[in-house]
Amino acid sequence: MSVETKESDIIVRVAEVMIEELKLEDVTPTSFEPDIDLVDEIGIDSMDLATVALVLQDHYGIRFDEDDYPTLTTVRKIAAYIAARLAS
Amino acid sequence: MKTVSSLLDEAWYARYKRISKLNIRSSIYDVTNRCNLRCKGCFFFSSGQDKAAEEENRLDRWEAFIDREMVRGVNLAILIGGEPTLFLDRVDAFYQRLPTFCATNGLIKLPRDRFPDLMVGISLWGDESDEKALRGKDTFAISSRHYAGDPHTYYLYTITPKQIGKIENVVRKIRDIGVKVHMQLLSNDEEVDGFSWTAQELNDVRYEMDDVLDRYPETVISCKYYHEVITSGEMLGRPFGWNECPSVTEPYDTRDPQPKRLIHFIRWASDLKTMHRCCTSETRDCSTCKDGAAHMSWVMVNKRAHIRSTKDLQNWIEVYEMFAKLYQFIPW
Repeated sequence: MSVETKESDIIVRVAEVMIEELKLEDVTPTSFEPDIDLVDEIGIDSMDLATVALVLQDHYGIRFDEDDYPTLTTVRKIAAYIAARLAS
Repeated sequence: MKTVSSLLDEAWYARYKRISKLNIRSSIYDVTNRCNLRCKGCFFFSSGQDKAAEEENRLDRWEAFIDREMVRGVNLAILIGGEPTLFLDRVDAFYQRLPTFCATNGLIKLPRDRFPDLMVGISLWGDESDEKALRGKDTFAISSRHYAGDPHTYYLYTITPKQIGKIENVVRKIRDIGVKVHMQLLSNDEEVDGFSWTAQELNDVRYEMDDVLDRYPETVISCKYYHEVITSGEMLGRPFGWNECPSVTEPYDTRDPQPKRLIHFIRWASDLKTMHRCCTSETRDCSTCKDGAAHMSWVMVNKRAHIRSTKDLQNWIEVYEMFAKLYQFIPW
């Protein structure tokens, strides 16, 4: 299965997973503001992030290190994290 | 999409941001199987947890175990028992390594030169008459001498139905010795006569808990939403129970779908190998469980469910702040 590798496409995919898994309302993958703080504004906690990370891990075939969760505070940062792992 | 800042004014948003990234990961440890009291209604003995495992006696094994727990991600150790103060070296092994809370009946004074800022929660089951009926002695008479004026101590006042109409007297006694108090409700595991809750009593006790919070805000560490949840057994229209409880030992959690839960939570027995099902006991009926920490955690892990109105989110913030104060993540 081919996966998105361009960061802009990964951003949309991350937003899509977040909306689906966390059942976020009144937002679409393309309208999701990629720089909005997920903790301070959306109210995401570490279990939410673990849920999203599991789906993204399966999709991209990469591994999220739990110690890195505190740095993954926006959709853009998660996308950059995925892109870096895909490139390594 | 509702955002946190769209629901809160500046002052509430600052309170939210103070706690939003705390990421507390607690586990609970039976420090010992032994206790210097036998209380009617104590789940530890009534459910046979004192016989579930042979106690580990080697301190180096405790130390290695705690190191492994820290690697596992635990950042708050909640010590219960038995009576933890019977084994201060084990308490110290936790205290030297990570934020630690020690539950105690207060009969043994924890030496403050050795544990200067260890948070201590003293169990109290009512006034003199209830204490004598359920615990065989008035523990407050002793614990109040040991911990008067201690800034790192609070009473965990387990309210029984017989305390209705008397709560203020107990709170005032605690205030008068300069200590804080947090309240929870008795879960009558042993079905001691007269100590099971009726719906009317739960309504009455909620009113009284709210009243002492209003009247003794410097002493009572609580909030009205917590009172509502613990007395009604409901949060946002959902009933508390096995399918909702977040305080289930992680490897034992086979629920499907899995609810929001405490990440990495384990309740360890004192052999450091055996795990108990949850923060109380396997024999407890989850639908009538009144455990305060479980209900607090239930609210805390359901943050996004509370991001639906200003009042709901403020309620969530108050519960989280209460928990963070009780375990010293933020000041009183």
